Amino acid sequence: MNEKRSPRSFPLVPIAVGMIVVLGLVAVLLSRGGDDDGSGVEAGSVATGSIRETRPVSVAGAALPPHGEGVDAAVGLPAPEVTGAAFDGDAVAISNDGTPKVLMFLAHWCPHCQKEVPVVAQWIEQKGAPEGVELVSVATATVAERPNYPPSAWLEREGWQPVVLADDEQGSAATAFGLTAFPFFVALDAQGKVVERVSGELTVQQIEDLVARARGVG
Amino acid sequence: MSTDAVTLLLAFLAVLAQATVAAVLVLSVAGRRLPSVARLGGSMRRFLGPQASSLAVLVAVVATSGSLYFSEIAHFTPCRLCWYQRFVMYPLVPILMMVARRRSRVLQRVAMVIPLLGASVSGYHMAVERFPSLESTTCDPTNPCSLIWVERFGYLTIPTMALSAFLLIATLLWVADPAPIDPPSDDPVVALKGTVS
Repeated sequence: MNEKRSPRSFPLVPIAVGMIVVLGLVAVLLSRGGDDDGSGVEAGSVATGSIRETRPVSVAGAALPPHGEGVDAAVGLPAPEVTGAAFDGDAVAISNDGTPKVLMFLAHWCPHCQKEVPVVAQWIEQKGAPEGVELVSVATATVAERPNYPPSAWLEREGWQPVVLADDEQGSAATAFGLTAFPFFVALDAQGKVVERVSGELTVQQIEDLVARARGVG
Repeated sequence: MSTDAVTLLLAFLAVLAQATVAAVLVLSVAGRRLPSVARLGGSMRRFLGPQASSLAVLVAVVATSGSLYFSEIAHFTPCRLCWYQRFVMYPLVPILMMVARRRSRVLQRVAMVIPLLGASVSGYHMAVERFPSLESTTCDPTNPCSLIWVERFGYLTIPTMALSAFLLIATLLWVADPAPIDPPSDDPVVALKGTVS
């Protein structure tokens, strides 16, 4: 330093450091009683009763290629069959049972999924579940440290009616269907073959079109 | 110290940073028209000026420590835009130390550009958090920039805290005084300019 300092210069830096320490103590006091790590329950652990945010799944059949831009190589391929369970442990299966299906893969922390879920929930509430097509949602990419955890509470808050399959911690169901982005939709026809895969937020009209294509009328 | 406590502390500091930046801005703008405010602005410059660049170092150190805490201890994975802000904030620590040591007006002005660059990235990141479709209509399954890890007081997310730090550093560099401290002037215009050479 080549300049003179005022002899009466106020010791701002030490005071600022002291203020940070005091604010730190206030923050510790105010945060007492909350979660130690601020993240809530760990993925897969018991949240309430027998609710688990991730469940083991088993996949039969060949996985679909990853979804990408352009022509979808998965269209016309038989979809893999997935068996697992809902958050409460009830068995859920995505199988070739002769019913067309629309699958919705959701991540609790994804803002686009958080926007899409109320749209679909309201659509079902107003028009009822689509006839002849089964809607199955898959809660995947569940991570306790990420926002809006746990997914079971989120979907309950949103009044979510479709069946939910809780994917495992590795996201095996999502990988089997070639998920590359959220939200992710897969339409399957009555023969269990892929009709269409699409990712991103959909409008009600686009969802209805997807349901119609699963039925084979789109 | 829990993640909750650390985020609350950083939120308190971000609010303080915002208040300081707003106060300096108001005093500087209003001081151009009102002599009484100009005198107050002059006093503020004399108060902050001599140690402003050292305070800027402290702000950069706290912001860097907070960023490292979030990624290394709280395990909040940094996204692409977080990394851009890190690329700006981390080198600011040694750069600002040099500025505080040399106390050269030219260095201060050049260094001011760096936090302003960081602030523009933080501003864009905040916009992406509020309007995720700005980046994409889908979420990257690994780590999208629209993911809000922390939100305090209804608006303070990690990029908002970073923006507050960048703006405070730029403001401190703006008021930092490289010259010896002169006795207070009775002329309000001179007082507003403070010790700017």
